[in-house]
Amino acid sequence: MDDLENLRKENERLQMMNENKSDLISISAHQIRTSLSAFKWTLRMFLNKELGDITDEQKNYLDKMMSNNEHVLALVNSLLSLNHSSDTSITFNFKKIDIVNMVEKVSSLFIAETKNKNINLLIEKPEEQIPELSGDEEMLIVVFQNLIENAVKYSDNDTDIKISLTYNKEDNSVLFSIKNKGIGINKEDEGNIFNKFFRAPNAIAKEHIGSGFGLFATKNIVERHCGKIWFENEQNQGTTFFVTLPIS
Amino acid sequence: MKKVLIIEDDSFLLDLEAAKIKKNNYDVLVAQTGEDGMKKIKEPDLGIILLDLLLPNYDGYEILKKVRADELTKKIPVVVFSNCAEQKDIDKAMELGANKFMVKSNFSLEELVEEIGKLIL
Repeated sequence: MDDLENLRKENERLQMMNENKSDLISISAHQIRTSLSAFKWTLRMFLNKELGDITDEQKNYLDKMMSNNEHVLALVNSLLSLNHSSDTSITFNFKKIDIVNMVEKVSSLFIAETKNKNINLLIEKPEEQIPELSGDEEMLIVVFQNLIENAVKYSDNDTDIKISLTYNKEDNSVLFSIKNKGIGINKEDEGNIFNKFFRAPNAIAKEHIGSGFGLFATKNIVERHCGKIWFENEQNQGTTFFVTLPIS
Repeated sequence: MKKVLIIEDDSFLLDLEAAKIKKNNYDVLVAQTGEDGMKKIKEPDLGIILLDLLLPNYDGYEILKKVRADELTKKIPVVVFSNCAEQKDIDKAMELGANKFMVKSNFSLEELVEEIGKLIL
């Protein structure tokens, strides 16, 4: 009888903890949305030239900020969906996607960072055309954004980042890879790299800002597309991340 | 000129919303707390109320209840404009008589003005 009562109390305690966690995420999401709304509206005022003329170069950067802001908003909305879904599933909206075009667009968001670090971001396009693949556009943007952002963040200055896209006819899939030269991943951290909120000590030392959520979310999204993600690593030399995604 | 009452506690968002709405030739009244909002809903000739949900003193739901319960104000269109985006928030606001629920971060100010144009008395 005591065991049953203890179990009931423990269950109540866990339920309460879960509710508190959900409330915290809801409040945080509200606050983040409020800031992002302000960014969005202010950027729109600049782009509409309501605050005066802007140069083409300024417009180019403002467009990219706007686009980035929209992606973060989409991510916040998805995280909230993840939080409120008891089976931790997000409803994905699958449609046909030109993956080469998507990777090029996402890469262009990092022009300012690569310029600052004198990094060459090279995209090796496939020799033959990759068929449009079935995927959730916003979610796949998050995947490529996270992988490219990490590659840039943890690269040494004056190096190359190589992105490659190839079509595998045999299993009708696409292979994306991104190789950088930078801090790499320590042997003891390799098993934890896709864990939620994990950040490797050498990553924190290089770049203290980061949630540790990026690669966890990336893996989750890739697997929801029936794809795979893995990496090859040489400490202090750099890392290559690979993603395969089925076309349909 | 038609009057728009904006009840919004975030000063920056309030400034942006008010500036945009004024530019589109509406008269704008503002309130930054639930308490002030409760007073201003009684202003004459209100054409529409733009209502945030999380406010100091009274929340947006309390204000919405009050608007719908009063003979003088019950027909004023209310657009709930909030970053609370959960289905339970939307359902509650619509049950209490909101005309429209807009999640701020999902809309531009141009779209907000368009909505005001459609609903204002």
